[in-house]
Amino acid sequence: MALLEVRGVVGGYGEADILHGVDLDADAGEIVVIVGANGAGKSTLMKAVAGLVRIRAGSIAFAGEAIANAPAETMILRGLAYVPQERNVFPSLTVEENLAMGAYARPAQAAAGMARVFALFPDLVQRRRVAAGQLSGGQRQMVAIGRALMLEPRLIMLDEPTAGLSPKFCALIFERVQAIAREGVAVLMVEQNARPALAIADRGVVLAMGRNRATAPGPALLADPEIGRLFLGG
Amino acid sequence: MDAALYAATLLTLAAIYAAFSLGLNLQWGLTGLMNFGGLAFVAAGAYTAALLTAAPSGTHVGGFGLPWWLAWPAGALAAALLALPVGAVSLRVRTDYLAIATIGIAEIVRLAVRNEDWLTGGPLGITGIPRPFEGLGQPWGQLAYLGLACAAVAGLYALAEATARSPFGRALRAVRDDEEAAKAVGKNPARLRVQAFVLGAAFMGLGGAMMAAFFKFMSPEALEPVTVTFLVWVMLIAGGSGNNRGAVLGAVAVWAVWAATDWLAAQLPGELATRAAYVRLFLIGLALQLILIARPQGLIGERIGTQR
Amino acid sequence: MLELVNFYLLPGLVLGAIYAMSATGLSLVYGVMRFAHFAHGDLMAFGAYAALAAVDALGISPWAAIPIAAAATVPVALAADALFYARLRRSLPAVLLISSFGTGLMIRAGLYFVFGPTQTGYGMGFTPPLVLGALRIQVRHLWIIAGAAVAALALHLLLTRSRAGRAMRAMADDPDLARITGVDVAQVIRLTWAVAAVLVAIAGVFLGIDTQLTPGMGFNVLLASFAAAILGGIGRPWGGALGGLLLGMAEELSSFPLIGGAPLLEPAYKTGVAFAVLVLTLILRPQGLFRGM
Repeated sequence: MALLEVRGVVGGYGEADILHGVDLDADAGEIVVIVGANGAGKSTLMKAVAGLVRIRAGSIAFAGEAIANAPAETMILRGLAYVPQERNVFPSLTVEENLAMGAYARPAQAAAGMARVFALFPDLVQRRRVAAGQLSGGQRQMVAIGRALMLEPRLIMLDEPTAGLSPKFCALIFERVQAIAREGVAVLMVEQNARPALAIADRGVVLAMGRNRATAPGPALLADPEIGRLFLGG
Repeated sequence: MDAALYAATLLTLAAIYAAFSLGLNLQWGLTGLMNFGGLAFVAAGAYTAALLTAAPSGTHVGGFGLPWWLAWPAGALAAALLALPVGAVSLRVRTDYLAIATIGIAEIVRLAVRNEDWLTGGPLGITGIPRPFEGLGQPWGQLAYLGLACAAVAGLYALAEATARSPFGRALRAVRDDEEAAKAVGKNPARLRVQAFVLGAAFMGLGGAMMAAFFKFMSPEALEPVTVTFLVWVMLIAGGSGNNRGAVLGAVAVWAVWAATDWLAAQLPGELATRAAYVRLFLIGLALQLILIARPQGLIGERIGTQR
Repeated sequence: MLELVNFYLLPGLVLGAIYAMSATGLSLVYGVMRFAHFAHGDLMAFGAYAALAAVDALGISPWAAIPIAAAATVPVALAADALFYARLRRSLPAVLLISSFGTGLMIRAGLYFVFGPTQTGYGMGFTPPLVLGALRIQVRHLWIIAGAAVAALALHLLLTRSRAGRAMRAMADDPDLARITGVDVAQVIRLTWAVAAVLVAIAGVFLGIDTQLTPGMGFNVLLASFAAAILGGIGRPWGGALGGLLLGMAEELSSFPLIGGAPLLEPAYKTGVAFAVLVLTLILRPQGLFRGM
């Protein structure tokens, strides 16, 4: 049984459903990359797991426990961390304070968590007292990921972590994502940068119109000419 | 006979409140603009009409002894002219600043009314404001004035309805419900809002003119934020904002309750009567809260022209 | 020159300190809950009268009654939130604003009912001013300025050094992200009310000490508090504090006879200064000095 098991999830915003029965698995130490066209439901699926979008049918289990529609603020204590695509740092709080917010639910773990995050992203050390709103896009992404890692989650969900970043930063983020997974954390990632993301994915999930289109190891999806033509821009 | 006069007085005041409430409905109900300074626009209309119709006096500017049918529109115009800069400045930014700015303009107008003796007669006020039809004697003069007030409200109602159904009214609702979408189809939200704000203020100004003529006397005492501004909000919310029939119905219903409790309180002995007035104040605040929570759409919800 | 300092600048600083405490709370509430709290002035009056009740009942000085006033005002704010605002949390900010207007009316009506409409005071009697060279300063003014400074320091420590204060700032930055990080939103909201109520209750006692008490005193400073908060940048507590200080000074200086013997502005129109500041802010720098939300 996988760490995260999503089965037949139906849901969306208000009256309009965006997900029409989606399945998804993620295991400890595994990188799962979700790809698909705009509007396919990638971000919505992540938000549903995070408790930010209500689901009307289907089930979500995390570590064997049903978590569908549980309040978003309880997820972090279950070991499930989420990094939204935009607005993922507190702009007026310093880097250090942002990270401390990541340990809000268990303040005793703040010091240890901060040490780990600074080891993972050494660039942040000298900017620790700078307001997050003044950082570059790449550094902000590091703060956002670092914040999510503060309480040693078992699953981290990243919504387009490389959007708008320079190739150098993209490579750095993907490299760190692999490091995080090696620690035994399950990584669930939505990516526009589908090719490099799938290249490191243990599992690639293709969504289309709110439904599963294909699921296979990332490199296998990359090798599939039809998937490439339809979903990866040729 | 006394009862008839009393009823006529109550109904006339209800009609005046209906004018305020219809004006606020244009602003808040139709357009989503929070005006907590209704008093300022009522005062502008009341004092303008009072100065234009009253006989000349040594204690203040004027009066000019003009007929009511000239003075009342002038009152509405004065209120609109006061609303224009207030709306233009605060609505450029965002709608909740309008609420604060209108409180400010109401305070300034209250201060001006009290302190600018040359213009308003200061605390002594303006006396001898003629009331239309008073030459008919009692009770016919009073009843005729009631008829005039009702006709004026009917006119305002028709105008408000026509506005709500017009392309302009549809644009206002569009701006209220989804500003971005309205912008995308080429509407100018700031301008539409200012127009609606000014039109609503004109309604209040006309109501003010009707009030001054009815009292035959205008002084700062008549301009209490609670009775002129807050009560109107309760009326509109109770009746159903966004709906002109609700605005009128709310004005009549809340005014009936207000007047009845006033009468009840007056039956109590001295000190208790004063205190009862405060209990009434408390209860009207509580009533507003309960309506907002339990029946946010009011007695009659919004109906006109909306497909929701 | 000395007249300017003694009779205009120092009183302006005192009034400014009072506005600052009120505007800071207003901005905190706006930041965390995203609505303009129109009962804030009436909470201030409640605090002032709570101190009056303590002064009358216990025979203590109004300074000693400050903790009692604060302790009495916090439950009122929490009750208004639990009974009314919490039920409207998903409505438009405008609906919350109207609701808070109703709350303010209820508080004011309660004060009228219990204490009557007449002006009253803490009965502190007259104390001669301190004379420092050519400077003459009222002792109570010194205490008010010192008290406001202590309150500002305490708030600063709360917001920057404590976990709960950090969560308040995080909520103001981004409520959704705060929820994702596990912040108990309801708890932060309660804390925000408590902090705002303490600040505004102290401001109310200070205002009562500096001037007089009437049940309408709070509504009268509501406009000034908002003008200060918007001048500073709404949602930014330090902006509110700075805006309050500037506005208090501007109000007092407005009656300074700079040209000839006549005051710049008739004292009767002092309230107009707040309005003018508000309008100028909206025209020239609508986001306020500190870039509000």
